[in-house]
Amino acid sequence: MDVQMKRGLLDVCVLAAIKDEDSYGYKIIKDLKPCIELSESTLYTILKRLEAAEMLTVRSAEHDGRLRKYYHITRAGLRRIEEFREDWQEIVTIYQFVTKGGNRYE
Amino acid sequence: MNRQEFLGRLDSGLAGLPQEDIAERLAFYNEMINDRMEDGLTEEEAVAAIGPVEEIVSQIIAETPLPKLVRERIRPKRQLQVWEIVLLILGAPLWIPLLIAFFAVVLSLYIIIWAVIFSLWVVFAAIAVSSLACLGTSVWLIFRGGLIPASGAFGACLVLAGLAVFLFFACTALTKGAAILTKKIALGVKSLFIRKEKLS
Repeated sequence: MDVQMKRGLLDVCVLAAIKDEDSYGYKIIKDLKPCIELSESTLYTILKRLEAAEMLTVRSAEHDGRLRKYYHITRAGLRRIEEFREDWQEIVTIYQFVTKGGNRYE
Repeated sequence: MNRQEFLGRLDSGLAGLPQEDIAERLAFYNEMINDRMEDGLTEEEAVAAIGPVEEIVSQIIAETPLPKLVRERIRPKRQLQVWEIVLLILGAPLWIPLLIAFFAVVLSLYIIIWAVIFSLWVVFAAIAVSSLACLGTSVWLIFRGGLIPASGAFGACLVLAGLAVFLFFACTALTKGAAILTKKIALGVKSLFIRKEKLS
């Protein structure tokens, strides 16, 4: 898959994983597993990028006697998911055009 | 490999990065190991699930911009002594050109690689165009010069077209190879700044 496209998709995937409730690194990876296989290093880069873009915030909370980082989606993050849903219609249209590319000769 | 060993190797592998970046990375992987163990894996299994340290290190270095590595490399770990500053300024006519020369060499390497690729594509384009020209000539010769010269030109057209097809695949493969090679050079230059850090 095209790198730029994949990067955009992964961002939305991670945002979707923290959309309903705050989540932590390992849980995000586990939740995304049925959809996309994500390595820790990749997730770290995505989380950093989303944090820099203010689409999520990070807080440390105690869990079982140790600290764990929880990621919380911001309004900008929710907006990004909305944008993706809007973009999707456009992508579907393009997909249909590409896969039925021959129909003008029919 | 246990947790201590994994984090230790990651730590030394990332030595060229800013200290706080390394600490954050280590905390992140440590949390991952903890969560995996909570999920029922043993420590060894949890570490193995993360993947080989070398791969992680080279991925991180590839993602870190070169200026950040250089900045970290040249930032002194302690306050500079007066004589060191004097030496740095006096030595500037020597080390600045050396630094420029180093990056010029790297840049010329890039240019050499891509010039070869570019010239191959030019050869491909030339052959493809001559093939088309031969086709045109052969059509023209049917009317003006007779069938034998025309079929000669058509034969040349086919040979050139075949060559062009072959060259196209060769060029695409070589372009991909060159892209990988330039990426490797970038990684090599970056790890240069990291390796120096470990030696000093």
